[in-house]
Amino acid sequence: MSPIKEIGQAFEGIQQAKIGAPAFCTNFFPVQTKLQGWIDHGELLAERRAGAVFFLRKDHEFWHLYFCAADVPTLQREMATLSSLSGERVVVDLVGREGALEGMLNAAETSGFRRYRRLLRLIRASEPGRPQLSAASTQVVWADQTDRRAISELLEGSFDRYADQLAMPYEIEGAITARQILVIRCDGVLAALLFFETQGLTSTVRYWVVAERFRSQRFGAALMHHYFALHPAVRRFLLWVTADNEEAVHKYRHYGYLPEGLIDHVLVNPMIHS
Amino acid sequence: MKALPEILREIRPECDFTASSDFMADGMLDSFDMMTLVATLDKTYGISIQGTDIVPENFRNLETIGALLRQCGVPA
Repeated sequence: MSPIKEIGQAFEGIQQAKIGAPAFCTNFFPVQTKLQGWIDHGELLAERRAGAVFFLRKDHEFWHLYFCAADVPTLQREMATLSSLSGERVVVDLVGREGALEGMLNAAETSGFRRYRRLLRLIRASEPGRPQLSAASTQVVWADQTDRRAISELLEGSFDRYADQLAMPYEIEGAITARQILVIRCDGVLAALLFFETQGLTSTVRYWVVAERFRSQRFGAALMHHYFALHPAVRRFLLWVTADNEEAVHKYRHYGYLPEGLIDHVLVNPMIHS
Repeated sequence: MKALPEILREIRPECDFTASSDFMADGMLDSFDMMTLVATLDKTYGISIQGTDIVPENFRNLETIGALLRQCGVPA
Protein backbone atom coordinates (compact mmCIF):
# COMPACT_ATOMS: atom_id res chain seq x y z
CA MET A 1 0.00 0.00 0.00
CA SER A 2 1.25 3.49 -0.87
CA PRO A 3 0.12 6.81 0.60
CA ILE A 4 -2.33 8.86 -1.46
CA LYS A 5 -0.90 12.35 -1.80
CA GLU A 6 -3.64 14.03 -3.81
CA ILE A 7 -7.29 13.50 -4.52
CA GLY A 8 -6.74 12.83 -8.24
CA GLN A 9 -4.81 9.65 -7.41
CA ALA A 10 -7.89 8.21 -5.74
CA PHE A 11 -10.11 8.96 -8.73
CA GLU A 12 -7.51 7.57 -11.15
CA GLY A 13 -7.56 4.35 -9.14
CA ILE A 14 -11.34 4.18 -9.40
CA GLN A 15 -11.10 4.80 -13.14
CA GLN A 16 -8.61 1.99 -13.61
CA ALA A 17 -10.97 -0.44 -11.89
CA LYS A 18 -13.95 0.84 -13.80
CA ILE A 19 -12.61 0.65 -17.37
CA GLY A 20 -14.53 -2.09 -19.13
CA ALA A 21 -15.90 -3.31 -15.81
CA PRO A 22 -18.69 -5.82 -16.46
CA ALA A 23 -20.27 -5.38 -13.01
CA PHE A 24 -18.42 -2.66 -11.12
CA CYS A 25 -18.66 -3.08 -7.37
CA THR A 26 -17.48 -0.79 -4.61
CA ASN A 27 -17.84 0.23 -0.99
CA PHE A 28 -16.01 3.51 -1.60
CA PHE A 29 -18.36 6.50 -1.55
CA PRO A 30 -15.98 9.34 -0.83
CA VAL A 31 -17.25 12.73 0.21
CA GLN A 32 -14.69 15.05 -1.32
CA THR A 33 -14.12 17.13 1.82
CA LYS A 34 -13.62 14.02 3.97
CA LEU A 35 -11.36 12.46 1.36
CA GLN A 36 -9.24 15.60 1.37
CA GLY A 37 -9.10 15.50 5.18
CA TRP A 38 -7.86 11.89 5.15
CA ILE A 39 -5.19 12.78 2.59
CA ASP A 40 -4.12 15.90 4.50
CA HIS A 41 -3.69 13.80 7.64
CA GLY A 42 -1.79 11.03 5.85
CA GLU A 43 -4.54 8.52 6.64
CA LEU A 44 -5.21 7.12 3.17
CA LEU A 45 -3.20 4.38 1.42
CA ALA A 46 -3.90 2.66 -1.90
CA GLU A 47 -2.93 -0.42 -3.81
CA ARG A 48 -3.80 -1.03 -7.44
CA ARG A 49 -4.39 -4.52 -8.74
CA ALA A 50 -5.57 -5.92 -12.05
CA GLY A 51 -9.20 -4.78 -12.31
CA ALA A 52 -9.33 -3.46 -8.77
CA VAL A 53 -8.06 -0.78 -6.44
CA PHE A 54 -7.97 -0.99 -2.65
CA PHE A 55 -7.79 1.84 -0.15
CA LEU A 56 -6.90 1.62 3.52
CA ARG A 57 -7.91 4.47 5.83
CA LYS A 58 -6.40 4.84 9.27
CA ASP A 59 -8.97 5.15 12.07
CA HIS A 60 -7.44 5.32 15.56
CA GLU A 61 -5.47 2.05 15.85
CA PHE A 62 -7.10 0.11 13.00
CA TRP A 63 -7.90 0.47 9.29
CA HIS A 64 -10.99 0.70 7.11
CA LEU A 65 -10.74 -1.17 3.81
CA TYR A 66 -12.40 0.25 0.71
CA PHE A 67 -12.39 -1.26 -2.75
CA CYS A 68 -13.43 -0.64 -6.33
CA ALA A 69 -13.45 -3.71 -8.55
CA ALA A 70 -14.50 -4.65 -12.04
CA ASP A 71 -16.78 -7.35 -10.66
CA VAL A 72 -17.22 -9.60 -7.65
CA PRO A 73 -14.95 -12.44 -8.89
CA THR A 74 -12.14 -9.89 -9.42
CA LEU A 75 -12.77 -8.47 -5.96
CA GLN A 76 -12.67 -11.94 -4.42
CA ARG A 77 -9.49 -12.92 -6.25
CA GLU A 78 -7.59 -9.73 -5.41
CA MET A 79 -8.85 -9.25 -1.85
CA ALA A 80 -7.77 -12.75 -0.91
CA THR A 81 -4.15 -11.93 -1.75
CA LEU A 82 -3.86 -8.52 -0.06
CA SER A 83 -0.91 -9.12 2.21
CA SER A 84 -1.43 -5.81 4.03
CA LEU A 85 -4.56 -7.26 5.64
CA SER A 86 -2.82 -10.06 7.47
CA GLY A 87 -0.99 -8.21 10.24
CA GLU A 88 -3.35 -5.30 10.83
CA ARG A 89 -6.76 -4.81 12.37
CA VAL A 90 -9.07 -4.13 9.44
CA VAL A 91 -12.77 -3.31 9.13
CA VAL A 92 -14.76 -3.37 5.90
CA ASP A 93 -18.18 -1.76 5.52
CA LEU A 94 -20.46 -3.09 2.77
CA VAL A 95 -23.22 -0.61 2.10
CA GLY A 96 -26.26 -1.12 -0.10
CA ARG A 97 -29.71 -2.58 -0.33
CA GLU A 98 -30.24 -5.91 1.39
CA GLY A 99 -29.95 -8.66 -1.20
CA ALA A 100 -27.59 -6.65 -3.40
CA LEU A 101 -24.65 -7.25 -1.10
CA GLU A 102 -24.42 -11.04 -1.13
CA GLY A 103 -21.60 -11.23 -3.68
CA MET A 104 -19.44 -8.69 -1.82
CA LEU A 105 -20.22 -10.31 1.54
CA ASN A 106 -19.11 -13.66 0.15
CA ALA A 107 -15.90 -12.13 -1.24
CA ALA A 108 -15.06 -10.54 2.12
CA GLU A 109 -15.87 -13.67 4.11
CA THR A 110 -13.78 -15.79 1.75
CA SER A 111 -10.90 -13.40 2.48
CA GLY A 112 -11.19 -14.03 6.21
CA PHE A 113 -13.52 -11.26 7.32
CA ARG A 114 -16.40 -12.13 9.62
CA ARG A 115 -19.71 -10.37 10.17
CA TYR A 116 -19.50 -8.06 13.16
CA ARG A 117 -22.43 -5.63 13.13
CA ARG A 118 -25.31 -4.77 10.85
CA LEU A 119 -26.40 -1.13 10.71
CA LEU A 120 -29.61 0.33 9.31
CA ARG A 121 -29.96 3.77 7.84
CA LEU A 122 -33.05 5.50 9.20
CA ILE A 123 -34.74 8.47 7.60
CA ARG A 124 -37.12 11.06 8.96
CA ALA A 125 -38.72 12.82 6.02
CA SER A 126 -39.99 16.31 6.65
CA GLU A 127 -42.60 17.73 4.33
CA PRO A 128 -42.49 21.34 3.12
CA GLY A 129 -44.83 23.50 5.16
CA ARG A 130 -45.22 20.95 7.95
CA PRO A 131 -45.30 22.82 11.25
CA GLN A 132 -42.18 22.43 13.36
CA LEU A 133 -43.22 20.63 16.55
CA SER A 134 -39.88 20.81 18.31
CA ALA A 135 -38.75 23.71 20.44
CA ALA A 136 -35.30 24.91 21.35
CA SER A 137 -34.16 24.19 24.90
CA THR A 138 -32.31 26.58 27.18
CA GLN A 139 -30.36 23.59 28.59
CA VAL A 140 -28.76 22.96 25.22
CA VAL A 141 -25.68 24.92 24.13
CA TRP A 142 -23.02 24.62 21.46
CA ALA A 143 -19.92 22.68 22.42
CA ASP A 144 -16.76 24.73 22.70
CA GLN A 145 -13.12 23.75 22.34
CA THR A 146 -12.78 23.08 26.08
CA ASP A 147 -15.25 20.18 25.60
CA ARG A 148 -13.01 18.31 23.14
CA ARG A 149 -11.55 15.81 25.56
CA ALA A 150 -14.87 15.14 27.31
CA ILE A 151 -16.59 14.66 23.95
CA SER A 152 -13.93 12.22 22.82
CA GLU A 153 -14.17 10.26 26.09
CA LEU A 154 -17.96 10.14 25.98
CA LEU A 155 -17.93 8.87 22.38
CA GLU A 156 -15.26 6.26 23.10
CA GLY A 157 -17.10 5.05 26.18
CA SER A 158 -20.48 4.87 24.49
CA PHE A 159 -19.92 3.66 20.94
CA ASP A 160 -18.26 0.77 19.16
CA ARG A 161 -15.06 1.98 17.56
CA TYR A 162 -15.17 -0.62 14.79
CA ALA A 163 -18.81 -0.13 13.79
CA ASP A 164 -19.56 3.48 14.62
CA GLN A 165 -16.64 5.33 12.98
CA LEU A 166 -15.70 7.44 15.99
CA ALA A 167 -14.72 10.98 15.16
CA MET A 168 -10.98 11.68 15.09
CA PRO A 169 -9.73 14.51 17.35
CA TYR A 170 -9.37 16.86 14.37
CA GLU A 171 -12.96 16.06 13.31
CA ILE A 172 -14.24 16.94 16.78
CA GLU A 173 -12.29 20.19 16.72
CA GLY A 174 -13.66 21.05 13.26
CA ALA A 175 -17.21 20.10 14.23
CA ILE A 176 -17.08 22.36 17.30
CA THR A 177 -15.88 25.24 15.14
CA ALA A 178 -18.60 24.52 12.56
CA ARG A 179 -21.29 24.35 15.29
CA GLN A 180 -22.17 20.72 14.71
CA ILE A 181 -22.11 19.54 18.32
CA LEU A 182 -24.87 20.39 20.79
CA VAL A 183 -24.23 19.63 24.46
CA ILE A 184 -25.85 19.73 27.87
CA ARG A 185 -23.58 20.35 30.82
CA CYS A 186 -24.42 19.65 34.46
CA ASP A 187 -22.27 21.34 37.09
CA GLY A 188 -19.57 21.84 34.49
CA VAL A 189 -19.59 18.18 33.43
CA LEU A 190 -20.53 17.07 29.91
CA ALA A 191 -23.81 15.21 30.43
CA ALA A 192 -25.04 14.66 26.86
CA LEU A 193 -24.31 15.52 23.26
CA LEU A 194 -25.77 15.42 19.78
CA PHE A 195 -23.21 15.53 16.95
CA PHE A 196 -24.62 16.18 13.50
CA GLU A 197 -23.69 17.14 9.96
CA THR A 198 -25.99 19.21 7.78
CA GLN A 199 -25.69 19.66 4.05
CA GLY A 200 -28.49 21.68 2.48
CA LEU A 201 -31.76 19.80 2.79
CA THR A 202 -30.16 16.78 4.49
CA SER A 203 -28.97 16.49 8.07
CA THR A 204 -27.33 13.41 9.59
CA VAL A 205 -27.02 12.63 13.29
CA ARG A 206 -23.60 11.04 13.83
CA TYR A 207 -23.87 10.52 17.58
CA TRP A 208 -26.57 11.13 20.15
CA VAL A 209 -25.68 10.08 23.67
CA VAL A 210 -26.39 10.82 27.31
CA ALA A 211 -23.67 9.86 29.83
CA GLU A 212 -24.85 6.99 32.00
CA ARG A 213 -25.03 8.90 35.27
CA PHE A 214 -27.20 11.60 33.69
CA ARG A 215 -29.83 9.35 32.12
CA SER A 216 -33.58 9.56 32.85
CA GLN A 217 -33.46 13.37 33.02
CA ARG A 218 -34.82 13.89 29.48
CA PHE A 219 -31.52 15.35 28.28
CA GLY A 220 -31.68 13.19 25.16
CA ALA A 221 -35.13 14.48 24.34
CA ALA A 222 -34.04 18.09 24.92
CA LEU A 223 -31.13 17.63 22.52
CA MET A 224 -33.22 16.00 19.81
CA HIS A 225 -35.98 18.62 19.99
CA HIS A 226 -33.39 21.40 19.93
CA TYR A 227 -31.72 19.78 16.91
CA PHE A 228 -35.00 19.59 14.97
CA ALA A 229 -35.85 23.16 15.92
CA LEU A 230 -32.51 24.31 14.48
CA HIS A 231 -33.32 22.74 11.11
CA PRO A 232 -36.72 23.93 9.92
CA ALA A 233 -35.64 23.79 6.26
CA VAL A 234 -34.23 20.27 6.31
CA ARG A 235 -36.27 17.74 4.31
CA ARG A 236 -34.31 14.59 5.11
CA PHE A 237 -32.95 13.65 8.54
CA LEU A 238 -30.69 10.60 8.46
CA LEU A 239 -28.74 8.41 10.87
CA TRP A 240 -27.24 4.95 11.15
CA VAL A 241 -28.16 2.63 14.01
CA THR A 242 -27.10 -0.87 14.98
CA ALA A 243 -29.90 -3.13 13.74
CA ASP A 244 -30.15 -5.25 16.88
CA ASN A 245 -30.05 -2.27 19.27
CA GLU A 246 -33.81 -2.38 19.73
CA GLU A 247 -33.83 0.30 22.42
CA ALA A 248 -32.09 2.81 20.14
CA VAL A 249 -34.24 1.89 17.14
CA HIS A 250 -37.35 2.35 19.31
CA LYS A 251 -36.17 5.77 20.47
CA TYR A 252 -35.50 6.92 16.93
CA ARG A 253 -38.89 5.63 15.78
CA HIS A 254 -40.41 7.79 18.53
CA TYR A 255 -38.90 10.82 16.77
CA GLY A 256 -40.21 9.75 13.38
CA TYR A 257 -37.18 7.93 11.97
CA LEU A 258 -37.91 4.83 9.89
CA PRO A 259 -35.69 2.33 8.05
CA GLU A 260 -35.19 3.32 4.42
CA GLY A 261 -33.70 0.04 3.21
CA LEU A 262 -30.00 0.89 3.20
CA ILE A 263 -27.83 -1.56 5.14
CA ASP A 264 -24.22 -1.38 6.31
CA HIS A 265 -22.72 -4.78 6.97
CA VAL A 266 -19.62 -4.22 9.12
CA LEU A 267 -17.09 -7.04 8.87
CA VAL A 268 -13.79 -7.40 10.74
CA ASN A 269 -10.70 -9.46 10.06
CA PRO A 270 -9.24 -12.07 12.45
CA MET A 271 -6.92 -9.48 14.07
CA ILE A 272 -10.00 -7.99 15.73
CA HIS A 273 -11.31 -10.12 18.55
CA SER A 274 -14.87 -9.70 19.80
CA MET B 1 -35.64 4.47 -21.91
CA LYS B 2 -35.95 6.41 -18.66
CA ALA B 3 -35.17 10.10 -18.70
CA LEU B 4 -32.70 11.59 -16.25
CA PRO B 5 -35.27 13.33 -13.98
CA GLU B 6 -37.14 10.03 -13.64
CA ILE B 7 -33.93 8.20 -12.66
CA LEU B 8 -33.15 10.86 -10.06
CA ARG B 9 -36.67 10.70 -8.65
CA GLU B 10 -36.32 6.93 -8.19
CA ILE B 11 -33.14 7.48 -6.16
CA ARG B 12 -34.48 10.35 -4.04
CA PRO B 13 -38.27 10.54 -4.41
CA GLU B 14 -38.63 13.30 -1.81
CA CYS B 15 -36.52 15.79 -3.78
CA ASP B 16 -37.49 18.17 -6.56
CA PHE B 17 -34.43 18.05 -8.77
CA THR B 18 -35.74 20.71 -11.14
CA ALA B 19 -35.62 23.25 -8.30
CA SER B 20 -31.90 22.97 -7.56
CA SER B 21 -28.76 24.10 -9.32
CA ASP B 22 -26.45 22.21 -6.95
CA PHE B 23 -27.72 18.81 -5.80
CA MET B 24 -24.76 18.19 -3.46
CA ALA B 25 -24.76 21.58 -1.77
CA ASP B 26 -28.52 21.38 -1.38
CA GLY B 27 -28.25 17.96 0.26
CA MET B 28 -30.33 16.22 -2.43
CA LEU B 29 -27.60 13.73 -3.38
CA ASP B 30 -24.95 12.35 -1.08
CA SER B 31 -21.88 10.35 -2.04
CA PHE B 32 -23.75 7.05 -1.83
CA ASP B 33 -26.53 8.43 -4.05
CA MET B 34 -23.90 9.61 -6.53
CA MET B 35 -22.40 6.12 -6.89
CA THR B 36 -25.92 4.65 -7.14
CA LEU B 37 -26.69 7.18 -9.86
CA VAL B 38 -23.49 6.31 -11.76
CA ALA B 39 -24.38 2.61 -11.70
CA THR B 40 -27.94 3.36 -12.82
CA LEU B 41 -26.80 5.65 -15.64
CA ASP B 42 -24.24 3.05 -16.80
CA LYS B 43 -26.93 0.38 -16.91
CA THR B 44 -29.72 2.50 -18.36
CA TYR B 45 -27.70 4.04 -21.18
CA GLY B 46 -25.20 1.22 -21.76
CA ILE B 47 -22.23 3.46 -20.98
CA SER B 48 -19.31 3.43 -18.58
CA ILE B 49 -18.79 6.72 -16.79
CA GLN B 50 -15.07 7.02 -16.12
CA GLY B 51 -13.73 7.05 -12.58
CA THR B 52 -12.15 10.45 -13.06
CA ASP B 53 -15.57 11.80 -14.04
CA ILE B 54 -17.16 10.68 -10.76
CA VAL B 55 -16.66 14.06 -9.14
CA PRO B 56 -19.28 16.35 -7.61
CA GLU B 57 -18.84 18.94 -10.38
CA ASN B 58 -20.33 16.53 -12.91
CA PHE B 59 -23.34 15.75 -10.72
CA ARG B 60 -24.16 19.29 -9.66
CA ASN B 61 -27.45 19.62 -11.57
CA LEU B 62 -29.47 18.34 -14.53
CA GLU B 63 -27.36 20.33 -17.00
CA THR B 64 -23.98 19.02 -15.80
CA ILE B 65 -25.21 15.42 -15.66
CA GLY B 66 -26.70 15.88 -19.13
CA ALA B 67 -23.35 17.18 -20.38
CA LEU B 68 -21.57 14.17 -18.84
CA LEU B 69 -24.03 11.81 -20.56
CA ARG B 70 -23.45 13.51 -23.91
CA GLN B 71 -19.70 13.22 -23.37
CA CYS B 72 -20.27 9.47 -22.87
CA GLY B 73 -22.12 9.28 -26.18
CA VAL B 74 -25.71 9.47 -25.00
CA PRO B 75 -27.72 11.54 -27.49
CA ALA B 76 -29.34 14.71 -26.13
